Amino acid sequence: MDPGFAIMLRPFLKYAGDREITSASRLHELGLDSMQAIELLFAIEDGYGVTLPDDKLVDATFETAGRLWAEVQQLRPLEDAS
Amino acid sequence: MTGVPTRPARPRPAAPRPGLDDVLAATARGARRTDELAEFPVDALAALRASGLLGLVVPAEHGGGGGGFGDLVDVTLRLSREDMSVGMVFAMHCQQAMAVVRYARPRLRAELLPALGRGELYLASVTTERGKGGQLLVSESAVTAGDGLLRIDRDAPIVTGGTHADGFLITTLAPDAASPTQVSLVYAARDQLAVEVTGDWQPLGMRATHSVPMRLVGAVPEHQVLGAAGDFRSIVTALFGPAAHLGWSAAWLGTAAGALSRVLRLMREPAGRRQFDLTSDLLLSRLARIRARLDAVHALLRHTVTAVEAAVDMSAPPVRLLVNTLKVQAAEQCFEAVHELVELVGLRHGYLRGSPLFLERAFRDLRSASLNYANDRLNLVNGSLTLLDQEVHLG
Repeated sequence: MDPGFAIMLRPFLKYAGDREITSASRLHELGLDSMQAIELLFAIEDGYGVTLPDDKLVDATFETAGRLWAEVQQLRPLEDAS
Repeated sequence: MTGVPTRPARPRPAAPRPGLDDVLAATARGARRTDELAEFPVDALAALRASGLLGLVVPAEHGGGGGGFGDLVDVTLRLSREDMSVGMVFAMHCQQAMAVVRYARPRLRAELLPALGRGELYLASVTTERGKGGQLLVSESAVTAGDGLLRIDRDAPIVTGGTHADGFLITTLAPDAASPTQVSLVYAARDQLAVEVTGDWQPLGMRATHSVPMRLVGAVPEHQVLGAAGDFRSIVTALFGPAAHLGWSAAWLGTAAGALSRVLRLMREPAGRRQFDLTSDLLLSRLARIRARLDAVHALLRHTVTAVEAAVDMSAPPVRLLVNTLKVQAAEQCFEAVHELVELVGLRHGYLRGSPLFLERAFRDLRSASLNYANDRLNLVNGSLTLLDQEVHLG
């Protein structure tokens, strides 16, 4: 996982405290709620130049930092190639 | 030109519900008194137990009624025509029973489902907490684990039917929770707890739900956690939220439909026809508007049942939007329908406690609808969910 991704996630995880954010970090447990999901989505889209399709915007995608990163990674090569 | 003869549309036949008439009669007999005294409807609960309807949503192989959301909606609608409090009590019990059916671990299933299926157990929900501002998905109530037991000491400001429940589904923090969002849902039988009522229940409406503040203290085996420890969120998304909003909306719609029906009966009696000008433009347009509110909520309610039953992933924004919209719309429209009925029939029939139409009770009861998991909060959530669904997939 890109170290910058963990830095980007941290402001949305109000219960993370000083804990390291790893691929296994469970985002909802660390404080991500449905009100913030849209802000996080904008941060990802602006930061990585990707657009997460609507059908990926389900709880499973946001379950862990690693799962969300994997979705971003899947989208990046396509965006880079365009 | 020959055409295929069309069959006239007929209302869906109601499924036979043995014992429901007895429950309705007990509910109707007790409603005025339990409202006045803000007492739990013990006679209606006894009739519900005797009818087996408390086992409605338990699969038939466990002796239950094998019902789903549609059955929960049907029965709640009928009960609420007599008394919204009884409808709410029933719907919330079914929500708990569905959670046990879907999420209890094998040992707890074996312990609970036979009695739950026979309709012998009445389950109450303990999700409220002081200081968390109505947020369902966080908890500040710690449990301690040891010797295979979870020790619970739970203070809850509102427990519907808590004084008469045989068991409780309680939200607490998971034993090793590192954040307030790691919430578990735990079953506790009444005899596993010391139950203390810590205050009074004197609300405007929904008085017979007897939703008193309680303190529950006790220890339960760890296998009584439903689903994964700390994962109440998944239960809420997949089942608890939809079941609550479907059940509550049915209770509100039943209350408003019952109110309209009583008004129409009054108006059509010879005395009523003398009192009300049934050719008046104002009266007819008001009736049309009231009826339209109920038909719109009913259509949304039935559509949401279908959408929830067909949903592959309940966390997808289109289905969550629909479920939340049902709740918000049912709360607003059913209250407005009864508000307009009061306006239509006037002081004597609409505002007095002793009126046989009991519109004033329906009005007070329905005033709670927008507050029961606040519409304001749900609208904020739905605003965010709307932004997540830019293609606007209509669920």
